[in-house]
Amino acid sequence: MSEFEPQIVAFFCNWCTFTAADLAGTSRLSYPPNLKIIRVMCTGMVDPKFVIKAFLNGADGVLIGGCWPGDCHYINGNLKARRRVANLTEVLKQYGIGEDRFWLRWIAASEGTMLQEVATEMTEKLKQLGPGPLRNLGQMAI
Amino acid sequence: MSDRIGFFICHCGINIAYRVRVQEVADYAATFPGVVVSKDYLFMCSDPGQDLIEREIKNQDLTHVVVASCTPRMHEKTFRAACQRAGLNPYRAFHMVCVREHGSWVTESEDEATAKAITLVRAGLMRVTNQIALFPSKFSVNPNTLVVGGGIAGMQAALDIASSGNKVYLVERQPTVGGHMLQYDKTFPTLDCAACIGTPKMVAVGQDKNINLMTNTEVESVSGFVGNFKVTVNQRSRYVKTNCTGCGDCAKVCPVESPNEWDVGTKMRKAIYISFPQAVPVRYAIDKKDRGPCVQNCPAGINIQGFVALIKAGKYQEALNVIMEKMPLPGSLGRICPAPCEGNCRRQEVDSPLAICQLKRFAADQVDWDTLPVPEIEKKSETEKVAIIGAGPAGLTAAYFLAKKGYHPTIFESAPFAGGMLRAGIPDYRLPPAVLEQEINYIKKLGVDIQLNVSIGKDRPVAGLLQEGFKAVFLGVGAQSSMKLKIENEDAEGVMHGIDYLGLLNRRQPVKTGKKVAVVGGGDVAIDSAREALRQGASAVKILYRRSREEMPASKHEIQAAEEEGIQIELLVAPVAVLTQDGKVSGLRCLKMELGEPDASGRRRPVPVEGSEFEVECDMIIPAIGQRINAGFLEGTEGIKLTRWGTIVADPVTYQTTFPGIFAGGDMFTGPSIAVEAVAAGQQAAISIEKYLLGEDLAENRPARPTGNKWKAIPKKIESRSRAKMPILPVAERVNNYNEVELGFTEEQARAEAARCVDCGGCCECKLCVEACQAGAVDHEMTDKQETIDVGSIIIATGFDPMNPVKMTQYGYGKYRNVFTNIEFERLSNATGPTAGKLLKRDLKDPMKFTEAPKSVAILHCIGSRDKNYHEYCSRTCCMYALKYAHLLKDKCGHDTEVYNFYIDMRCFGKGYEEFYKKVQAEGVKMIRGKAGSITEDENGILTVKGEDTLSGRLIEVPVEMVILCTAMEPRPDAPEVMRKFGIGIGQDGFFQEQHPKLAPISTPTSGVFLAGACQGPKDIPDTVAQAKGAAAEALALTSAGQVEIPPMISSIDSDICVGCQLCIGLCAYSAIEFNRYAGISEVNSAICKGCGSCSGICPSGAAKVRHFTDKQIFAEIDGLLLSQGA
Repeated sequence: MSEFEPQIVAFFCNWCTFTAADLAGTSRLSYPPNLKIIRVMCTGMVDPKFVIKAFLNGADGVLIGGCWPGDCHYINGNLKARRRVANLTEVLKQYGIGEDRFWLRWIAASEGTMLQEVATEMTEKLKQLGPGPLRNLGQMAI
Repeated sequence: MSDRIGFFICHCGINIAYRVRVQEVADYAATFPGVVVSKDYLFMCSDPGQDLIEREIKNQDLTHVVVASCTPRMHEKTFRAACQRAGLNPYRAFHMVCVREHGSWVTESEDEATAKAITLVRAGLMRVTNQIALFPSKFSVNPNTLVVGGGIAGMQAALDIASSGNKVYLVERQPTVGGHMLQYDKTFPTLDCAACIGTPKMVAVGQDKNINLMTNTEVESVSGFVGNFKVTVNQRSRYVKTNCTGCGDCAKVCPVESPNEWDVGTKMRKAIYISFPQAVPVRYAIDKKDRGPCVQNCPAGINIQGFVALIKAGKYQEALNVIMEKMPLPGSLGRICPAPCEGNCRRQEVDSPLAICQLKRFAADQVDWDTLPVPEIEKKSETEKVAIIGAGPAGLTAAYFLAKKGYHPTIFESAPFAGGMLRAGIPDYRLPPAVLEQEINYIKKLGVDIQLNVSIGKDRPVAGLLQEGFKAVFLGVGAQSSMKLKIENEDAEGVMHGIDYLGLLNRRQPVKTGKKVAVVGGGDVAIDSAREALRQGASAVKILYRRSREEMPASKHEIQAAEEEGIQIELLVAPVAVLTQDGKVSGLRCLKMELGEPDASGRRRPVPVEGSEFEVECDMIIPAIGQRINAGFLEGTEGIKLTRWGTIVADPVTYQTTFPGIFAGGDMFTGPSIAVEAVAAGQQAAISIEKYLLGEDLAENRPARPTGNKWKAIPKKIESRSRAKMPILPVAERVNNYNEVELGFTEEQARAEAARCVDCGGCCECKLCVEACQAGAVDHEMTDKQETIDVGSIIIATGFDPMNPVKMTQYGYGKYRNVFTNIEFERLSNATGPTAGKLLKRDLKDPMKFTEAPKSVAILHCIGSRDKNYHEYCSRTCCMYALKYAHLLKDKCGHDTEVYNFYIDMRCFGKGYEEFYKKVQAEGVKMIRGKAGSITEDENGILTVKGEDTLSGRLIEVPVEMVILCTAMEPRPDAPEVMRKFGIGIGQDGFFQEQHPKLAPISTPTSGVFLAGACQGPKDIPDTVAQAKGAAAEALALTSAGQVEIPPMISSIDSDICVGCQLCIGLCAYSAIEFNRYAGISEVNSAICKGCGSCSGICPSGAAKVRHFTDKQIFAEIDGLLLSQGA
């Protein structure tokens, strides 16, 4: 049996972490292909619905990547994301989705290496944890 | 019309195709519902690639296009334009999938990369059909440009833009433009002097009518968007107006010196200064920090730093004038003030606080008070009379300031002399009456009438004075009554309270002093009484104090002087009863005490030790345990309230009592306190009285007390010097008489002591510059100015900092005098530097002195550059300027000067650089390939550079007389702050990040903000100028286009869904959402919205959405990514 390959949906802000992913590419810093990126303008626009939808659709992990506090292109969108993530984490836990599966990371545009590390670390972690609890629920509309 | 999707995947040469099997991806896409054409191509971004897309759109009647290639940050615009040309709305029709940066380049196996690409493509195909048509809005472009930084990059960009006829705001943090280039001497490889080619640019910048030059200015905040920025700038006050002629007369008289920043500390400048002679604008500036802690702590607010600096400069009369601005009794208080100012003196951080009080006395002692000039006072009419009760420090001060304002104060004093407690309560050996007398006489000369032996009270009530024609009254009667011990037999013959005892002696009235005297108390009055008793013939004097020595409130030096004179101090002792024999004192029964818990004053409370009673034999007891107010003078006056402690009730700011027009201050207001507090009260009451007489609000527009702690840094290498010791009379020469014990500083002592001041406030506000300036340009009251400017584009040219090599201890910079940094060497070589252009060694003892030319010099390359521990990057300029230094050394110090270059690689890449290298080599400069490892210094100051010659593989040691460290170019320490202000990015090296390393070296993520010069990365002058010209071209392109398109991806609120909860309004960082009260919904102002989506992330009803990032679109993408999962 082939090894379990977790699926990670990553919401990256256009200005910092998406750019860091570009830099990781230009610098040829390889990381597991399990992480797939959805580009958003700011982590502040990541609606909790997006995260819940990803888990319901069978994602094993969700990663939100934004600018470091103070560096937000939109003044403080990342701080709103931080609060939203903290609240959502509590909600998700009640449905069996632990904080190990839902990560928020600050990765600046110049931190391609960090992106590589986070993607690798999260993939490894999820491999240990196994499939997400909602994986077999099937696709549900919300 | 049903969706007809075209899919196109790019090989990117082999960049994508080497990992991703593009054909397989295209084949997959072809099977996807709605896809009618699926193609791959070698370079999709090329013209033929774009043509292919346009052609297919037309031929196949495509409604949507998905391109899988590089990151959308690179070619999204390109393909959107292609779709638009083919007649589609690009926002509806086009989506780009990244299979290079996020695919082929980061995935190791071909299978995985291909699978990932297929997943990403599927998400893109699913997303694209959910997109809707959007239309960018257009805004006009403000033709003005802001240039931040006045170095060569900023100047060049400003000049280029100005020459097109457009307006430029050039903001520079320093007082002059010029930047690092103007600090240099010669420039490589042509060796033309930096000033010769740089100063014309500076002058042009200063004179161009299209350039608004704002020096001493920093950008506070930026708002708006490309073409329409609003920038708030803060212009720090330079305290010199534009009519400054640059003559420099002010600097000649300024007594404060600091290391000149422009000369990187190799030379001193005054507090009023110009960075260098060719500075633009040629306008002096004053380096003023927050007022020092001494000034802040002085109750009277005396400009202490000012008079100290003037004493240092030998300007005693001027020093006295500074003191007399706030306090009329400098000689008296200079002798007796406990000096609260010294408590927080920052000199303590080095050694011990400055002897401020004694310096004040010194200033007062240097002038002849009889001939001291009286200022010209414009006297007011005779009816402007003010009555002052009490000629103590409070009353005298109030009278002094009122008289200076032209009023006619009359002081009523019940005693036969003026001076109050200064005279009655302080022994003559501490404060000779003549000193006080001369100051009182001077106050009289200003027009103060002092009437002695006049009691105000029962027969002539205070309130009655107002009927007598006085328009206001100031009460400053002090606290003249003694506190009682409240023990048995306290009224026996031989008990006399300290204040009474001192008062009688000072009135020259007969007092019988005992042989064995016991003084009770630990304050100044107790000490004074004890020392007086000794002088009055007592054979044994003992001070009994109930707490420990640390808690004694008396001045330490007074306690010490008393003990030297033979006075015994017994601690932790409290009296319980006076013992008498025939009604006369025969002794004092005491109890021993021990220290218990701290009381309200924070001092540990003395607790009696049971059964410890003992007797002290004595024939006189002087209790000196405190004073209180005698309110007898208020008899006959109604309406003045007292507190329950018997002090008078008055406003703490205005000093007005509860009786309008009657003011009070000093001990009677504060309770017993120090003289300088009384002076402060007199000074403040005088301000109130004037306001009262003018009918103004008493509390408004009063001079503010200085605050803040942004002080001048204390130099790290300051030499420790002990505080001047006050010369005193030997004990034998003083115990039998009333000669003054403290003799005062000698001139030499005073000036040396004053020189210990660390100039906390920078400028000392002595105002000598104001007098010296014939143009009248100096204005110490100037304040910072904020201004908001509108610009269409911004050029950031904030430059770099040379690295401080002090942390690389192996090179001994900062320790070895003759190890220089590159900038220090530039200043040495520069004609306006410390040595007027001569290359000289430093004196081994005095770092500010330069001696002779070095015979041998080592130049160390790559200090902090190409070094994993500091900066991995190459600073790009060091090789070349190192060669320039080598040439200058040979040229200026003689061709026999040995010059060694320790280099890793020579990087002489520019035009004419290699040729320059060859030329310098031919001059006999020794090139050693290998980075120098360390430097040591011997006792003669000879420096030994150790390193490896990697060409011969030998370790070498080279003794030289001077070393120059070619330090790295670093990003400015506040680069992150600048980054946030302007919304740009910073790269891993800490410099500002350009949009693209090759193709967009000037642009930033924020459109309309451009980079120029070394703030973007290490650069030499030619590259800097070229980039500056590029930035100017970018700005002008924007201006000349006249309008900009703003991406339409902003928020919108669906008015049918919004419930008007207004959650989004609080979250919007731009205040772009307003509540429509009539419709009961929130609405987005599309001109302000930036599209961050904070509102859409929170909206509980889902009404707020960011266009192009709607739920449907993101959901479709998620669906696409996870289609293979689950069921």
